[in-house]
Amino acid sequence: MTEQLLRVEGLAKTFPGRRSLADVLARRPAQPVRAVDGVSFELGPGEVLALVGESGSGKTTVGNLLMGLMAPSGGRVMLDGAEVGRLSARDLRLLRRRVQMVFQDPYESLNPRMTVREIVAEPLRVHRISASYAELRTRVADALTSAGLTPVDAYLGRYPFELSGGQRQRIVIAAALALQPSLLIADEPVSMLDVSIRAEILNLLSALAREQGIGVVMITHDLSTVAAYADRIAVMYLGRIVEYGPTRAVLAEPRHPYAQALLSVVPVPDPSFRRRPVILRGEMPDPSNIPSGCRFHPRCPLAFDRCPTVDPPLFEVGPGHAAACLLVEEPEAAAEPARRLG
Amino acid sequence: MTAVLEATTSTTVEAPRRAWRSFLRHRMGVIGAAMLGIALLVAAFAPLIAPYDPYASVRVNIGDIYQAPSAAHVLGTDDGGKDVLSSLLYGARVSLVVGFSAAAIALVIGGLVGIVAGYRGGWVGSLLMRITDFFLVIPDLALQIVLVAIIGPSLGTIIFVIGALGWTTTARLVRSQTLSVRERKFVMRARAIGAGDAHILRRHILPAVLPLMLANMVLVISLAILSESTLAFLGLGDPTVISWGQMLNFAFDRGAVSAGAWWALLPPGFAIVWVVLATTLLGTALEDALNPRLKRHHLEAPGSDVARDRTVPALVPPLAEAEAPILRVRDLSIEFDVGGRSLRAVDRVSFDLRRGETLGLVGESGCGKTTTVLGILRLLPPGGRVVGGSVLFDGEDLLSLDGRALRSFRWTRLSLVFQGAMNALNPVRTIGDQIQEAIRLHAPGTSKADAARRAGELLERVGIGRRRANEYPHTYSGGMRQRAMIALALACDPDVIVADEPTTALDVMIQAQILELLGGIAHDFGMGIILVTHDLGVVAQVCDRVVVMYGGVVAEENDAATLFASPQHPYTQQLLQSFPDLAHPDRPLRGIPGSPPRLDAMPSGCRFAPRCPHVFDRCVNEPPLYPAAGGRASCFLLDPAERRP
Repeated sequence: MTEQLLRVEGLAKTFPGRRSLADVLARRPAQPVRAVDGVSFELGPGEVLALVGESGSGKTTVGNLLMGLMAPSGGRVMLDGAEVGRLSARDLRLLRRRVQMVFQDPYESLNPRMTVREIVAEPLRVHRISASYAELRTRVADALTSAGLTPVDAYLGRYPFELSGGQRQRIVIAAALALQPSLLIADEPVSMLDVSIRAEILNLLSALAREQGIGVVMITHDLSTVAAYADRIAVMYLGRIVEYGPTRAVLAEPRHPYAQALLSVVPVPDPSFRRRPVILRGEMPDPSNIPSGCRFHPRCPLAFDRCPTVDPPLFEVGPGHAAACLLVEEPEAAAEPARRLG
Repeated sequence: MTAVLEATTSTTVEAPRRAWRSFLRHRMGVIGAAMLGIALLVAAFAPLIAPYDPYASVRVNIGDIYQAPSAAHVLGTDDGGKDVLSSLLYGARVSLVVGFSAAAIALVIGGLVGIVAGYRGGWVGSLLMRITDFFLVIPDLALQIVLVAIIGPSLGTIIFVIGALGWTTTARLVRSQTLSVRERKFVMRARAIGAGDAHILRRHILPAVLPLMLANMVLVISLAILSESTLAFLGLGDPTVISWGQMLNFAFDRGAVSAGAWWALLPPGFAIVWVVLATTLLGTALEDALNPRLKRHHLEAPGSDVARDRTVPALVPPLAEAEAPILRVRDLSIEFDVGGRSLRAVDRVSFDLRRGETLGLVGESGCGKTTTVLGILRLLPPGGRVVGGSVLFDGEDLLSLDGRALRSFRWTRLSLVFQGAMNALNPVRTIGDQIQEAIRLHAPGTSKADAARRAGELLERVGIGRRRANEYPHTYSGGMRQRAMIALALACDPDVIVADEPTTALDVMIQAQILELLGGIAHDFGMGIILVTHDLGVVAQVCDRVVVMYGGVVAEENDAATLFASPQHPYTQQLLQSFPDLAHPDRPLRGIPGSPPRLDAMPSGCRFAPRCPHVFDRCVNEPPLYPAAGGRASCFLLDPAERRP
């Protein structure tokens, strides 16, 4: 096994639930919200992992846990052998130099009162990294160049409102790169951008991984945007990874019924492309009330008798490819309900 | 639409230049600043301007008291035989010193309390805000009187007491501003970078809060000056200094009224009004200019939304057809007034929509697709108007309807599901109630029971179920609210539904559910649907025909199958190349370099020319107007005359 940059083991995060007035009167305890419930994965240097899920799947909470923005309720996040959740405030500041985040909304995540130069230099100033002004300038210029903002001088003195959405997102990326991190967490990095710009930003992120060996965790709800860029995909449902594997394998042959359904409804820009969409009814249940057994069974078109009682672990279905579904073990069980799909 | 305006006005409240211009627009604020400036000059140069020194001890003769205005004493003399004008000029010093110092104290206390309460939050914040509330409800004047009486009247006491009681509004203002800035993404990003509280407060919170504090300070100054005058008038002023309140106090106490010495009373009163008015005008104007929450729409006053007097030469000759489409848009042109200029946001857009057909209107943000549909619906924001073309709905020109006819037309024949519409439901009324209201509003004869039955059917149709008709919007999820909005749009059985980015903020699975629903509706009810979206995948999935817009014009139009299979316009081709396609995951994605043109900097030739890989000289000089250039795309490459090997 190669040296892993990031190792996540059994990560869990529980939030205290909200009690209604009736609950308080009846002295019912609050139902804890299990936002992340046993997530494990690994990431090597230069690798791009896509964490895919709908809202409420816990993917953003995983991102915040990786950043050390909140402490896990269980499990651990190991970055280069050091455990993120147990760091002192001082070490956490050091960690921040290694892990950086790219936010969803480039319109909101830049301070409108600061120039590009100030924005990109801010992390260096916060961590008191650059000894001299000249070094600071060099590092800011390097970061902007890495983010594809050249010529650098054309951007340094400008304010965010003078830039387009794509340029702003590049500024966010440049600010993250200024600290020369080894891990980038990109939370929906392109969902606020125009289609024509998305490809550029995603190309930039995957180039950073390939050329500078930065590990990238891309958090998104959109399978189609990550298909061309991620090395591996982890599909999340209700706080857990239900399918995990190399991008090609997961896209070509998804094994978990949820992953299959999700893949089948992604709009494809080709009217002649024929397929049978599996449109799941209803919505993801509330994470304060996770169904028994397999958490997907109430919405699963292939559910059978054992599903409500057995919580399936991740079964190996191929090299590096795993799915948490009982059908992997007993495919014949689905024979009967499978007809319902048609 | 919003993007269009943003591109042209760069709406950043924060830019200092904009704030300055916005301040200058407040004529009253400029007047206030001038008035305050005069008062400050008078105070500064009082010893030079004043004809006498009011602090000098002089021998008073009985005849000197309450002398009427004369050449020697322009405003007469007071009860001590002193020159009123000189006292007035010197009094400005005291009033302004008290005003500024007390306001500074209030600002420091209020600013600290507000920032700490807003930034820390939690029990500290609650405690501080309860203390603030306490100070807010106690009657200031009564407490001031008591405190000054206890500590003893001196200028310092008065400043301290006014300052220590006057910080509450500042604290509340600063707290709410801090709260809103703290939640902004750029503060979160700073935290993710590893910045500590001190850095965030200094670099991110303070710069956002300070301008507001300054504006607020001016208002606090006026209150402080007023308080000082009141206290002095009540005999609680510092007896050793001359202030306007003190002058009034002495005049009242010592018989100015019975002596008919109006000159001892009116001038100090007028001076107080002058300074308070000046600071109030200035403070209000500053607050208006700097507080984003109070900012008014900067577009020009709403005029008529249709003004087809401009000469916009038609591109499409009127044609007769056997089966007329339900909606026929011809040469629709829309302009916006921005900063005194008229900018063409939509230029001669034409398309048809037939019953039962779903038409996709696609393009990047800022290409005019939302503006086009808002123009069709006559819902343009203030400053925007249709300057040419026609919108024929079932043979009737929507652009010539008056307000009343238009209102009944909307919703009964043409309804709208817009972006983020799920947040447009009234939170305090049940969903069923809101649907029934729409039904009964447009068909007043409908009985309550009929309306309720119909609302139930509609909710059933959109997959919510009639059982949930009596629930309030907050119990619905985002996807369900969007379904409810569709039910609402269907309420009056319209012929056409315009759906503007109906699934943009929704998850993929919910999006699939909503698209399935819209497709089913178009099929079952034979409705025409205009789907405005940037998502080519969605278009490919549900649309029969596609209109691609770029820079306010139609770049290409075709039936969906042909358009996706063989796009003609370079823009369409590039748009397709930049869009991820799960069916062909190996195809490399390429973005389109550059950005769409701004309204105020439209290229004179082809609008796509600056980004087009096939651009040649003709493109730069001459606009290729659809369909004049031939084919179904507005591109000179399709002109037979330009065919090259």
